[in-house]
Amino acid sequence: MIEVTNVCKSFAGREVLKNISHVFEQGKTNLIIGQSGSGKTVLLKSVIGLHAIDSGSISYDGRAFSHMNSTEKKQIRQEIGMVFQGGALFDSSTILENVMFPLQMFSTMTKAEMLKRAHFCLDRVNLVGADSLYPAEASGGMQKRTAIARAIALNPKYLFCDEPNSGLDPITAIVIDKLIREITIDYNITTVVNTHDMNSVMEIGDTVAFIYKGEKWWNGNRHEIINSDNKELNEFVFAGELMKKVKANQE
Amino acid sequence: MNILFHIGRYYALLARAFKKPEKGRIYFSLILREIDSLGINSLGIIFIISVFMGAVITLQTAYNVESPFVPRYLIGLTARDSMILEFSSTVVGLILAGKVGSNIASEIGTMRVTEQIDALEIMGINSAGYLIFPKIIAAVIINPFLNILSIFIGITGGYLAALLTNAVSPEIYIQGLYYAFVPFYIAYSMMKTLVFAFIITSVSAYHGYYVSGGALEIGKASTRAVVYSSILILLTDVIFTQMMLA
Repeated sequence: MIEVTNVCKSFAGREVLKNISHVFEQGKTNLIIGQSGSGKTVLLKSVIGLHAIDSGSISYDGRAFSHMNSTEKKQIRQEIGMVFQGGALFDSSTILENVMFPLQMFSTMTKAEMLKRAHFCLDRVNLVGADSLYPAEASGGMQKRTAIARAIALNPKYLFCDEPNSGLDPITAIVIDKLIREITIDYNITTVVNTHDMNSVMEIGDTVAFIYKGEKWWNGNRHEIINSDNKELNEFVFAGELMKKVKANQE
Repeated sequence: MNILFHIGRYYALLARAFKKPEKGRIYFSLILREIDSLGINSLGIIFIISVFMGAVITLQTAYNVESPFVPRYLIGLTARDSMILEFSSTVVGLILAGKVGSNIASEIGTMRVTEQIDALEIMGINSAGYLIFPKIIAAVIINPFLNILSIFIGITGGYLAALLTNAVSPEIYIQGLYYAFVPFYIAYSMMKTLVFAFIITSVSAYHGYYVSGGALEIGKASTRAVVYSSILILLTDVIFTQMMLA
């Protein structure tokens, strides 16, 4: 469980996060949604410590992450897996080398054990036979799968995904969403997904936090989101024709 | 204020780069890889510029010093000392600032804008140490060898010029190479090379590490890396010369 309490963050005097408090629950896919520029990526990066927060606190299972020094934060970070929007794969390494990288850095495994673990992770994300490809040679979906495989290589307790299906076709996007949900349930980890894709919300949103102009405007789950009477949330959720039809059918 | 900000941030980055590595074995293999990338891959350009520099120094000295009062063996001495004191350390340093410096800045800059550095940090890896430390150590190890090689090739280039053009007889050229040799000049040249290696790698890495934006900014960072490395090399050269040879 990750607890965010009264977090504020400004850039050059512009307040991007305004007093945000939220709990990301273990064993669930916790979604952060909101329009572009609403502050959801800043929130995600603040939670994982890439941005230093101005005030408030962030704790991982009771451990006050935001008040730790860099050495203590390193320990927590080894329990974190992260899937970046663009994959952030090491482009001069092959797919297999990318997945093996965290194992080489932090495990005491032999090379054979590392290979076995890396292949297990690649199998887990249904990426077989692509070991020797470089990221630039792989499709967007393969890159995302590799990023997920790398993120779970060290058995993380916390998984963060920043817009994991952006730039993917709808079918691959659903596959990636389902994969994230399966991994969350199988390993009972705390997963936080940053998205503005309503398909993802309806597919995997166990808990959903809606960020609007830097504030947490609403929270609930994927079932509640359809029937919410929150004006700003409804404008966001029903911006597309598809969701409007879903709403109309439901009514 | 802006300069002070950059100087402060540069030293802070270096402090992070020289923190205890997560896994020594990995860093050792990274250093070996960087020795190959930064040093061995530069052998070609060093060979070409050194041979021509040695030849040109020899020919220019031969054609400009025609006085009967100046012994011809000074041509060999001039070629030798020019290569040792300035060309193989400073000029090669400037060439490497262009080749290696832009390479480092663009490599690290690309990793920054594609969030690969963030990925390292999230994994709990000291990204500055992982990316910068091996480059600095590799350059500091390999560049003195490149310097010695450049001196040898430059002097050989001068000999070839003497042999092929008859600007000076090869025997007299060799006599000049042996004349009034000061071993300290080699130490001076090596010390300059070590400092230049540090400047090239650390300054270029700094400019790459703090890139923000996209491809255009990476290009600008590469240019800045080369310009600032070159200026610092020349400035350090003046200081070293005054301190050690005056």
